[in-house]
Amino acid sequence: MNPSTHMVPVLRSGSQILIEALQNNGVKQIFGYPGGTIMPVYDALVGSGLKHYLCRHEQGAALAADAYGRVTRKAGVCMATSGPGATNLVTGIANAFMDSVPMVVITGQVPTALQGTDAFQEVDIFGITMPVVKHSYIVRNVSDIPRIVNEAFQLAENGRPGPVLIDLPKDISAGMGETIETLPAPLPEASKPDPVAMQQASDMLSRARRPLVIAGGGIAISDSVGAFRAFIERTGLPVTTTLKGLGIMPTDHPGYVGMLGMHGNGAANHVVQNCDLLMVVGARFDDRATGHLSQFAQSARIIHLDIDPAEISKLRKADVAIVGELKPALEGLQPENKANATWLGQCAGWKKEFAWRYDAPAKGIYAPRLLRDLSRAKPEGLTITCDVGQHQMWVAQHCSFNDPLEHLSSGGLGTMGYGLPAAIGAKIAKPEDMVICVSGDGSFMMNVQELATINRYGIDVKILLFDNSALGLVRQWQEIFFEGNYSEVHLDDNPDFAGVARAFGVKARSISEPEEVSQALDWLLHTEGAAMLHVAIDSMENVWPLVPPGKPNHKMMSAKTADQGTGNGK
Amino acid sequence: MRNMDHTLHIQLSNCEGAIIRALGLMERRGYTLKTCSVGEPEGVGREMEVTVTSSRSGDLLKRQLERLHDVFYVELKPAEPIKPHSPGIRPINSRA
Repeated sequence: MNPSTHMVPVLRSGSQILIEALQNNGVKQIFGYPGGTIMPVYDALVGSGLKHYLCRHEQGAALAADAYGRVTRKAGVCMATSGPGATNLVTGIANAFMDSVPMVVITGQVPTALQGTDAFQEVDIFGITMPVVKHSYIVRNVSDIPRIVNEAFQLAENGRPGPVLIDLPKDISAGMGETIETLPAPLPEASKPDPVAMQQASDMLSRARRPLVIAGGGIAISDSVGAFRAFIERTGLPVTTTLKGLGIMPTDHPGYVGMLGMHGNGAANHVVQNCDLLMVVGARFDDRATGHLSQFAQSARIIHLDIDPAEISKLRKADVAIVGELKPALEGLQPENKANATWLGQCAGWKKEFAWRYDAPAKGIYAPRLLRDLSRAKPEGLTITCDVGQHQMWVAQHCSFNDPLEHLSSGGLGTMGYGLPAAIGAKIAKPEDMVICVSGDGSFMMNVQELATINRYGIDVKILLFDNSALGLVRQWQEIFFEGNYSEVHLDDNPDFAGVARAFGVKARSISEPEEVSQALDWLLHTEGAAMLHVAIDSMENVWPLVPPGKPNHKMMSAKTADQGTGNGK
Repeated sequence: MRNMDHTLHIQLSNCEGAIIRALGLMERRGYTLKTCSVGEPEGVGREMEVTVTSSRSGDLLKRQLERLHDVFYVELKPAEPIKPHSPGIRPINSRA
């Protein structure tokens, strides 16, 4: 890139230049944690006008920046010192990489002269993070800082977004330099979708007897939800979504058949296995979505729309590929016919057959029903952040979403501990919206220290904590696939979670009986300030359906088939 | 799919980490490095010629390399069946 320049030489410290470069890129908030080698930057932060949120672990800072990036579609910024500060960011960086989230990461580094000498708090974070960044830099000259920062934001936010790391040795951040102020380079003009591929795709859609669209997270990332919904209204095509695609179609839309995959809806999995044309939009054939790949949608031809050429035919060969921005492609596709009524009738039949039921006998509070009730009671503009595990799948199955940004979940990396820092990042990004972190007792303890961040800044997030005194999803797999040989999954010694929350200044209540749910949800949604509802549930409750690993999507196990011994034993 | 040799000619920036980033991607994405030579041509940047073995497609690797900000250009030479005697990994800069 060749940034256009204004020739205004100025002498300042590397840290001052960094802060100014961040501000020039629109940064207003930073999540971070100070330490030795990043101290010059924290020194320059004072009085800069940038708002810094001190998280209580660097991973919390990185995950909060991730959620901030998802909600704003602008790079979330996190910052930490060298060594352990930097390595603690790695999970958050990988999380952003796997889910294509814009993020700029700034790490302190030992002074240049000490690099490579095993200096105190020295790690090669540039090397460690190479597989999980879109790009990374080590700054070698003070004068390079503005260019590198501008490039970092452009790379993080454009094309397929992702995290960009800037490793800043202390002699650079503390050193003085003459810099030339730079402005971000103009973006290259987006390429238009290939007209030949567009025509082929339109023809295939016109001819298909059993077409289906998979809506993936790329639609939300590229802000193409409106164009996608208009395309669906125009064509009448049935739609399924991936985990990250939830909310791209309103949950109650008649053509929406639910989420597909391992814990997807039976209707979605049957529709996808029976379709003859699959149009995949901004999704990447993840194994949790496809089940056994070679048996996935075996009769279907594939149209794949994605901004990333490297996703085309990576796992499933595309018959037609449309590479580039999704919005113009979706606007340009004009099949002659609408989806045929017979197929739509079949889809509607599956939808009816596999509609979620809430009448199963359950001991105590049934989490799926509670989540359905939460969705019914929720105010407009509610964002749900999830941790990872059974509760995450129940949220995906039983909550309603009208927009993909209402649901923030660690899809690719599956990071336990995402939910609470993500709620912080989301609330800071959109303070007018209500944010609820839905968590489990295993996940919550992974970043429980962020309760202190909530308390410190008075961040109004609600926490719905399902406590089954177990690592539930692992326990479920041990029950089904390891013959009930439970290994290190029991958490009977959990702390008093409500007491923990109160110790951090967060209001809290605990419930364990179904008749308490309605009033407790009301309390959670209407309590002023941060609040936690701790919900004790049955430790043996499972997530159904389940496509066993290595099986095709239509071979789903349910509570009924598991009881009949379809699994490998209980 | 059986293993094939893929040879790629890569032009990339001489920025810190560019070579290791490209080589790391190859290994990580399931392509075993057989030979590698790096040169510093006249002008800007570096060039690298690598032969990798994989059951995965050479074209996919080309597209994955092209995503890297440091990589300017990738040319994929026609795939060959595996050669019985690999010359091994030559020292970096052997052609420089």
